[in-house]
Amino acid sequence: MASLFFLFLLLLPFAILLLVLAAIVRPRPVRIPLKGRHVLVTGGSSGIGLALALRAAAEGARVTILARDPSRLQDARDAILLATGVDVTILAADVRDPEAVCRALEAADPVDVLVCSHGVFLPQELERQSLEEVRFMVEVNLMGTFHLIKASLPTMKQRAKESGLPASIAIVSSQAGQVGIYGYTAYSASKFGLRGLAEALQHEVIADNIHITLVFPPDTDTPGLAEGVDNCLYSDRCHTFPFPFLNAC
Amino acid sequence: MSGLIHRLSHSHSLVLLVYIHIAPSQEYRWIGVHRAQKQAPSLRAVPILFSQHSMASPLLLLPVLMAPVVFAAVLAFLVRPRPVRVPIKGRHVFITGGSSGIGLALARLAAAEGAHVSILARRAAQLQEARDAIRLATGVDVAIFSADVRDADAVAKAVEAAGPVDVLVCNHGVFTPQELEKQDLEEVRFMVEVNLMGTFNLIKAALPTMKQRTKVTGLPASIAIMSSQAGQVGVYGYTAYSASKFALRGLAEALQHEVIADDIHVSMIFPPDTETPGFAEEHRRRPDLTNIIAGSSGGMKADDVAKKALDGIKSSRFIVPCNFEGTMLSIATAGLSPQSSFLTALAEVLGAGFMRFMGLCFQWNWFSSIENWHSKKKGL
Repeated sequence: MASLFFLFLLLLPFAILLLVLAAIVRPRPVRIPLKGRHVLVTGGSSGIGLALALRAAAEGARVTILARDPSRLQDARDAILLATGVDVTILAADVRDPEAVCRALEAADPVDVLVCSHGVFLPQELERQSLEEVRFMVEVNLMGTFHLIKASLPTMKQRAKESGLPASIAIVSSQAGQVGIYGYTAYSASKFGLRGLAEALQHEVIADNIHITLVFPPDTDTPGLAEGVDNCLYSDRCHTFPFPFLNAC
Repeated sequence: MSGLIHRLSHSHSLVLLVYIHIAPSQEYRWIGVHRAQKQAPSLRAVPILFSQHSMASPLLLLPVLMAPVVFAAVLAFLVRPRPVRVPIKGRHVFITGGSSGIGLALARLAAAEGAHVSILARRAAQLQEARDAIRLATGVDVAIFSADVRDADAVAKAVEAAGPVDVLVCNHGVFTPQELEKQDLEEVRFMVEVNLMGTFNLIKAALPTMKQRTKVTGLPASIAIMSSQAGQVGVYGYTAYSASKFALRGLAEALQHEVIADDIHVSMIFPPDTETPGFAEEHRRRPDLTNIIAGSSGGMKADDVAKKALDGIKSSRFIVPCNFEGTMLSIATAGLSPQSSFLTALAEVLGAGFMRFMGLCFQWNWFSSIENWHSKKKGL
């Protein structure tokens, strides 16, 4: 009997804490339906973006993929058609160009779920890296995301109001966007930047029922990673060392 | 009387739940639950400090008292980079955005402490005024360099002309708060270019000679980056500014790994709203909700921020908060940042859970403000 009381006293603070947290967590959780909704995936012609597009299509979403290279976009479209029987729309644009992004999004339907999965990755010591490469990563990873959000936000807001369903802006960051490590000055800078953007953006769009999601993958087996790693190895410029969290998956 | 719940947890060992009840008899009682204690059913009063009856063996107290001490010792061993003193006297301190606001205050302070100071900014006239002001206040003459940090070549030339740097203070910054939906992309780009790329340009330019310099002098050097509390948490109206300031942290964490072998220490300073010409500009543009939310943290004077900043730089701290709220925020957002002070590390480890809870309370408060503001607007 007494040991039960003992147990109760032990568990009580946790129970209270849980109740308090359940009451205060913000934003309140919602389900974002995908079926029948318009999902736009940038960097959607390869890697994580392509995999995302495939899954979304398989789940019944209307998918649009955006990337730079039209031929790779075609290949991606064929691959998705083969795998899911679903035809996706393709848009060619460089996310660094705000006008091109605007034009592409105007041509597309209003977006329900915007997935910013584009990104470039060139690890190197800042002392050895050219400022052009630094700028490249910041322009694509960070500014590119700003361009996309700016271009799609107005119609996303309208759409959320009309449909009464919650919308989503998902940003693919990286574990390097949670901790900066050797060789990642520019990449981590661009990915940390996305978090500042996301935290502030959530405040600004919650009233329109738009929910921000940040995705933090580790090293992922994609052409993008291979490129980044090659960039180090070929020129023997980069020193990489094992970091326990960045396992290829 | 209210009860206070303290949850102390340390690796590999017991979790102590300690309730402090101020009993009606004005006696302090500790009710501890200890794994080794076999005295069920009830909770034995383990007296400490004030109470008269001493029933439990003092051996029970020993782990309670020793645990934090042992843990602190472990941390003292663990923390990296190891703390150093970065001397300022007689060394070359290069401050960007040094012609006004926090930069000017920093320049004045460093000059007063005997450093050779160089200040960099865009406008020559303002630089002249700054130089005169510093000379008036300290009797020391500072070197002035005019360049736009967005121009990598101009920055490289200025840094070359200034000579090898011991303490690089990337303090320049611009700030225009607005909802991303309403803000011009040019303004977003402006903030990212100046705050982020400008800092990259500076570090790129100064790093080679800084490395040489530490080798020659044998003294630790410092790269200090002026961030902001908005670089620890993003709030309404700060998409671009927070993006640029958060990015500086990613840069700094990675950079510290790359330059520690050259005895260069990276410091990030996180001031709240500070009374500067820059802030006055910014304040006019602020959306209502930003004012409501940002008001959660107190404002400071530039001189006080500069003092905290310089102290942090001299102690080679990676995270330098400037006020009480800043210290709490720094604990709440410590993440995997390096920490060279084992005492601060102890505070971070012990405070993590509670500070996360506080952070969640703040978000609850902010989201409620946003909800209320929108309902009022709809009501109109």
